[in-house]
Amino acid sequence: MIKRLLIANRGEIAVRIARACREMGIESVAVFSDADAGAAHVVAADYAVRLGPAPATESYLNVRALLDAATSSGADAVHPGYGFLSENAGFARACRDAGLAFVGPPAEVIARMGSKIEARAVAISAGVPVVPGQTPADQTDEGLVDAIRLVGLPALIKASAGGGGRGMRQVHDFADAVAAIQSARREAEGAFRDGTLYVERLIERPHHVEVQIFADSHGQVVHLFERECSVQRRHQKVIEESPSPHLTPGLRQRMTDAAVRAARAAGYVNAGTFEFLVDLGHGAGDDTPFYFLEMNTRLQVEHPVTEQVTGVDMVRAQLLVASGLPLPWTQASLTQRGHAIEARIYAEDPSQAFIPQAGPLLLYREPRLPGVRVDSGFREGDQVPVHYDALLAKVIATAETRELATARLRQALRAFPILGIRTNIPFVIRVLDSEAFVAGTVHTGFLDHEGASLASAPAAEPPAFLRAALDAADLDGRTPGGPTAPRASDPWDRVSGWSVR
Amino acid sequence: MSARVVATRIGDGVYRVDVDGRTEIVHVAGEQGQRWVHWNGQVFERPFAVAPRTRSARQPEGAQALSAPMPSTVRKVAVAPGTRVSKGDTLLVLEAMKMELPIRAAADGVVRAVHCREGELVQPGVTLIELDQRS
Repeated sequence: MIKRLLIANRGEIAVRIARACREMGIESVAVFSDADAGAAHVVAADYAVRLGPAPATESYLNVRALLDAATSSGADAVHPGYGFLSENAGFARACRDAGLAFVGPPAEVIARMGSKIEARAVAISAGVPVVPGQTPADQTDEGLVDAIRLVGLPALIKASAGGGGRGMRQVHDFADAVAAIQSARREAEGAFRDGTLYVERLIERPHHVEVQIFADSHGQVVHLFERECSVQRRHQKVIEESPSPHLTPGLRQRMTDAAVRAARAAGYVNAGTFEFLVDLGHGAGDDTPFYFLEMNTRLQVEHPVTEQVTGVDMVRAQLLVASGLPLPWTQASLTQRGHAIEARIYAEDPSQAFIPQAGPLLLYREPRLPGVRVDSGFREGDQVPVHYDALLAKVIATAETRELATARLRQALRAFPILGIRTNIPFVIRVLDSEAFVAGTVHTGFLDHEGASLASAPAAEPPAFLRAALDAADLDGRTPGGPTAPRASDPWDRVSGWSVR
Repeated sequence: MSARVVATRIGDGVYRVDVDGRTEIVHVAGEQGQRWVHWNGQVFERPFAVAPRTRSARQPEGAQALSAPMPSTVRKVAVAPGTRVSKGDTLLVLEAMKMELPIRAAADGVVRAVHCREGELVQPGVTLIELDQRS
């Protein structure tokens, strides 16, 4: 069994993993950049090791620094979280070569399923339908334009190494193709250090439904049902839920069977997700077509909705499997109960093209309500750094039905004041209130097209009674983030030289 | 008839406002004059304050100064002084929080000056590109 786990990540997922470690009696080692020395994930762990300066390339993406941290802290395993190096086969291999258990699939499987070409080949070999597309051998602008011509317009350009919407561009007109290719390549190189691009046919107005699978090294493969993640903005998920409002029992059976078959074909171990596009153009039924999109060979941001409806702890299961133990469940023991919806809370400004925001959390109070779970990586008073993804927290509401879970989530978001930095909370509330969300007809392009106006609601007039609260605040002069005595150097900021006997 | 409104501080930055007997919970943070207020899922920045919209007084007519909306890295500089640009052309590509942010020309014009280099970390409000607009 793993004894000491290095968490090669930051933010809410690092906190989430550290908590699972505490429950299991595993010691946890946080890593941090200079921007995160006092961050929530550092506090949540038993040990903490500095990686380097704030830029991710010098800290959370720095394989050498991470391996050194694992060695110096005496860790015997590494959890990569999501993002950063989580889908980097080289990192998984480097961990294994350093004698560290990597909490995820073997490096070869990450490489295979992380490559869109090979992942498609695996899917096809397992009898899973795929969207027409290719990674051209000729990666020049001209080669990629030719590839777009072959798959047909509209087309989607993607980072071959990527995920999370980075390095992804739609092409509806050949006139825009070269600009889209160049932009996607730059973003792919910046995010993944690999500018290889993949081109596929764009299925219009699809629903994004993904199947969570889990496999151990003893040959057991199970699925944990589906998540509907169609509420996306520029391919970045905003709201996720389980179960999907669209799957009939027959369609769910076909999709989960396909995912388990593909996981077996891939030789998969640990937690993984098969993403599918579901074409509801002809309505929902047992025979509704679906296509394999890609596989995520890691724990996902939205794993809590699965945990909520199945009642299991996926991080715990990951750590058991990485220790060589069998999965703690069988397929028959897994059921879907009730409905869970997650909203991702980002520091961003919906009224200004969702520009990420960095700055102080002057006031930050998480909601505490029945059936509401908040996974977060920040506390009041923290600075949201400019260097990383702007995800602040995830709010997950669970209830008997979709309607009740939606009501619960809306209430939780209304009771989540974040001041000092702009967030997407008012926007997410408008999405939850929209007719399309209530009806469940939101497709992956909805927020970029029909629902784009939800981003820029007219600025509401502040109700007159707010003035009374402001006057009271002016009088007592003690609001969070208000003026405080300058603290050039506080002797208690850093204390050294003490020894403990 | 005006409503009877009483505000009571009930916690750090938390105020209970009684409006004709109905209770509203309001969160307040920030310095006086720079307040942020939260009520029922809505956030107001500097409510009731008239935001002074000052533009640089010395900026000549028809000129445009472009700056970064937030701290970011300059990923690409697509123009040089003297480049003729059309409305909508990408002048710069910034990157912040792993997202690309194209800065585009708001009107036809000629680039007068470029004040940043590729790879440079730039702060918001600092002029990156000056553009003379063609009238």
